[in-house]
Amino acid sequence: MSDNEEGLEEADSEIDEVPADAGEAPADDEPVAETDDTDESDAEATDAEAEADEQPAVLDEDVMPDDEADLLIPVEDYLAAGAHIGTQQKTKSMERFIHRVRTDGLYVLDISQTDDRIRTAASFLANYDPEQILVASSRQYGRFPAEKFADAVGARARTGRFIPGTLTNPDYDGYIEPDVVVVTDPIGDSQAVKEAITVGIPVIAMCDSNNTTSNVDLVVPTNNKGRKALSVVYWLLANETLDRRGAEPGYALEDFETEL
Amino acid sequence: MSDTEQKRARKCISCGINISGTAAARFACPVCGQEICRCAKCRKQSNLYECPDCGFTGP
Repeated sequence: MSDNEEGLEEADSEIDEVPADAGEAPADDEPVAETDDTDESDAEATDAEAEADEQPAVLDEDVMPDDEADLLIPVEDYLAAGAHIGTQQKTKSMERFIHRVRTDGLYVLDISQTDDRIRTAASFLANYDPEQILVASSRQYGRFPAEKFADAVGARARTGRFIPGTLTNPDYDGYIEPDVVVVTDPIGDSQAVKEAITVGIPVIAMCDSNNTTSNVDLVVPTNNKGRKALSVVYWLLANETLDRRGAEPGYALEDFETEL
Repeated sequence: MSDTEQKRARKCISCGINISGTAAARFACPVCGQEICRCAKCRKQSNLYECPDCGFTGP
């Protein structure tokens, strides 16, 4: 059986198990759209695809070119969280992080690059004073992990609506001057990215296959829509950052998981 | 830092233009710590940058 046929069977079984959002789930024969740019409607449309992370893991899936790569956690754990599952759209800027396309049209991110970028982002963040790191997440499933990450590394978190002027208006009560911004989704957290650009600070973003990396200085390629995927990525990022600082990383994955 | 090094530090690592304004970013290379400058246009257009010391390619 070829990889494609195997993927089709897996995809069919996964789609069958989608309970509530089944009506929004894309049909198997839907053509794959390749775009150079996306907007918020695209992000909303692909939310249904991200629900794949709530489904049983496909543990033998082909998710990276080098099967012997040394990862932070076993590849099965990444697969169980669905961190590798992208969307049915891809952008040119994210093409280099995409490993393959499944027969149901979902792009699969290269897990070894995700792992590598988590380490890179952690060593980058470890250079900064903890209080000068700002984590932003407007996405529902990213709020709890982002707050937990901020709590773990001593950073500041702005979840939910990012009040315009937070980084640019000194008259605003919540005005802060961070040195680096971490965003969960460059589309949903566009206000945070925009203000970071205005004040000239670097932006680290968790980007899915449908995100453009415009105004982003360091990409962490991952599924940024799934509950478990975001928990795993923030958990790894927190533990790695603490490790690089010489502190003891004492958090479990369960600590970062959003309650259903 | 010598004058030559200071001049190099003010140039965008992707396009080589002299950096001015606040929309540009200056940060340490995530891998080796070498200072990296990106101009506003290269950030907006998502132009790749490569660290001259360690070869890290971003964003």
